[in-house]
Amino acid sequence: MLGNWVEALVLATILCGFFGIIFKKNLVMKIVSMDVMSTGVIAYYVVVASRIGFFTPILVDSQKGAYADPVPQAVILTAIVIGFSIQALMLVGVMKLARNNPTLETREIEKSNVL
Amino acid sequence: MTMDLITLIWIAFPFLIGFIIYLIPTLDRSLALLGTIGSMAYAALLLLSNQGPLTLRLMDHFGVSLILDPLAGFFILTNALVTMAVVLYCWRTDKSTFFYAQALILHGSLNAAFACSDFISLYVALEVISISAFLLIAYSRTDRSLWVALRYLFISNVAMLFYLVGAILIYQTHHSFDFVGLRGAPTEAVSLIFLGLLVKGGVFVSGLWLPLTHAESETPVSALMSGIVVKAGIFPLVRCALLLEEINPIVRALGLSTALLGVSCAVFEKDTKRMLAFHTVSQLGFILAAPVVGGLYALTHGLVKSALFLIVGNLPSRDFKVLQQKPIDQRLWIALTIASLSISGMPLLAGFGTKALTMKELLPWQVIVMNIAALGTAISFAKFIFLPHGEPDKSAISKPENPGFWWAIGLLLGALVLGNGLYLQAYTFETIVKSVGTIGLGWLAYWFLFRKLSIKLPRVLEQFEHLVGVMSLSLVVLFWMVFV
Repeated sequence: MLGNWVEALVLATILCGFFGIIFKKNLVMKIVSMDVMSTGVIAYYVVVASRIGFFTPILVDSQKGAYADPVPQAVILTAIVIGFSIQALMLVGVMKLARNNPTLETREIEKSNVL
Repeated sequence: MTMDLITLIWIAFPFLIGFIIYLIPTLDRSLALLGTIGSMAYAALLLLSNQGPLTLRLMDHFGVSLILDPLAGFFILTNALVTMAVVLYCWRTDKSTFFYAQALILHGSLNAAFACSDFISLYVALEVISISAFLLIAYSRTDRSLWVALRYLFISNVAMLFYLVGAILIYQTHHSFDFVGLRGAPTEAVSLIFLGLLVKGGVFVSGLWLPLTHAESETPVSALMSGIVVKAGIFPLVRCALLLEEINPIVRALGLSTALLGVSCAVFEKDTKRMLAFHTVSQLGFILAAPVVGGLYALTHGLVKSALFLIVGNLPSRDFKVLQQKPIDQRLWIALTIASLSISGMPLLAGFGTKALTMKELLPWQVIVMNIAALGTAISFAKFIFLPHGEPDKSAISKPENPGFWWAIGLLLGALVLGNGLYLQAYTFETIVKSVGTIGLGWLAYWFLFRKLSIKLPRVLEQFEHLVGVMSLSLVVLFWMVFV
């Protein structure tokens, strides 16, 4: 029961992030929305991992109870690292763009640079 | 040494070289060349040894799994040749060490994407590709290039977030991330994964980010992007289509619509680089339309497209109207014509054999549309072939010639002529007549109709905001495609 609620909330986070990406006009806000979305995805991995049990999967002699699945957690670590490096890279790009496009509105940037 | 060990060394090799380049900057170009030679040797080993597919599973059932077969071999060979041509092209230019290091890291991650057969390794490879492609596009650090690069990274990262959700859903069903897990996976998992790959590979409407990105990048980067980087998104689709029959019709249908969309935009395009970029979209459709022979098609397309981007980058203007005013250098025109003829499917060049092979593998419902797309290809490349040409005007040459250019073009076009030998069975009377007929018809249509037309297609859908919106729409469409 609780698991379903958590899952629903996590999916709502992903959607919120995605709507932010669509509806926010400012490039920095778009990047922040993307971060919200990626937080949602990461949380979703953790939720899926905890289906079997809640204990942290650490190898010890005495078994405490049902362990969480270690694989999704291990996998999502990679995604977290990749996510924040992309985030950092984009923000550096935005800093450079901000010099000539101080409002950082994507429509304006696109108009003055490409189309 | 066993093949397993060679494979592992080959995967690590470009990354190792890429980082060594930073340590020994004076040897940057030679080292970059060495890295691509390594991949070429490995691809040759893979294609020539008839051992059957090599499957590697590192660690347990949730670990990394790799499949190396001739299909992957063709993609790896394309990767090696295109990167090599770009390194040769840049040899005498003032590209910094950073450029070569990034090019090699891009090369290595592309290799990894062509080797892996589980969703998480693929995710990592695709993300590394995005990052290094971003750095290469933004290399000149102008506002324009930065914005093009940022758009690219943003779109592909959002797509990959959807992909990640799909990957965990597959894990939930099978407790493994293998490609075969698509079988029996919930509909939403398949559509989320496909959305990620379609955006990454520039397929159909979700690939509308591609023309601008490929056209506005610098010449060598465009060649890399169109020649090989987009294929990283296409390859997993082809692989899945071959592994699972249920997926096969979806991939074929997507290929069909992509081929048509790309070519219909290319025919009306008035800008050389944008025309080539749209044409890339249509050729990706050809690869997907017949997954069995996709590897060979990807090889010829990669060679031709990177050669074309390199040549077009050296023409005096990007606008066809301006190019028609003044004769272009005879030698450039010859190279341009060879490449254009190959991609239109002229006999004696590699494009003929691969096109014949693809047409043979099509299903009955695909044939008509794909023939129209082939005709569209001939029409759009007639624009290049019928450009006025003549002896170079010695006084008018403003910039000194880049000697690396001819090395790169020689390599790519030479490989095209050699690649012609890969499928000699194509030379039957019927196919020769058909392909020459298609080209002739295309040229006639160009000369009497399209040359005078000046229709400007709207670029609304290529705007940044709409790209993300289209992504959500394609997700819904994909869901129903898989559902049905």
